[in-house]
Amino acid sequence: MEKTKTIVIADAGPIIHLDELNSLELISDFDIVIVPETVWHEVQHHRPQALLHTKVNLIRHRAEYFSPQVNALTPFYTLHAGEQEALHLCLEFKNSLFLTDDTAAKLAAKNLGVTAHGTLGVLVRAIRQQTRSKSEVLELLRAIPTQTSLHIRAAFLAEIISDVEKNAK
Amino acid sequence: MTTLVKTEIPDQLWQQAQNMVEQGWIVNMDALIIEAMRRYLESHQQIINEQLIREDIDWGLHGKD
Repeated sequence: MEKTKTIVIADAGPIIHLDELNSLELISDFDIVIVPETVWHEVQHHRPQALLHTKVNLIRHRAEYFSPQVNALTPFYTLHAGEQEALHLCLEFKNSLFLTDDTAAKLAAKNLGVTAHGTLGVLVRAIRQQTRSKSEVLELLRAIPTQTSLHIRAAFLAEIISDVEKNAK
Repeated sequence: MTTLVKTEIPDQLWQQAQNMVEQGWIVNMDALIIEAMRRYLESHQQIINEQLIREDIDWGLHGKD
């Protein structure tokens, strides 16, 4: 598998949810995975074992550049401290990929021209990257309601599973 | 029609909100809470959430990174 050169800035959600599925290593093929300082503390509080993963090199990093654009969007999208810091870092590291499961944070990212994806995208990407088979990923998707703290409407998850069954190679 | 709610708000958050009211950014605390809730609901609508997840799946299936 060819390594990608994308810098990932990770929010707490995907780190926690992927770890709950024993699948955090699915982000290990990105060259750099940065965890903002505030997010690091959130994960440490809710799922500390995720930060000790041996196959994923999570880089703890504090934002040093604070964008007025992010500050302006914060009240509009009611962004939490971790999401704010992550977006500041996304603007600091040009062309980075923001991993988040928070809708408001994804909308704010769009507004800032930052590419954002979440846990489900990472899981499905594993088929394309050939780090998991299609059947393994389908099994992980089915495990989301019972094994993770990621909330997703049952009927919608069923649609996604059907979509992946049909369209994944 | 309105509903009266009772809730606990962290002191620091409450203080920040009071400062906003005192500085005249918003007419009073009731208006601030209503506006905050409205904005939260607007930005967390299910339809938007699911559309963004669909985009996520599309990236997962067909993206380049």
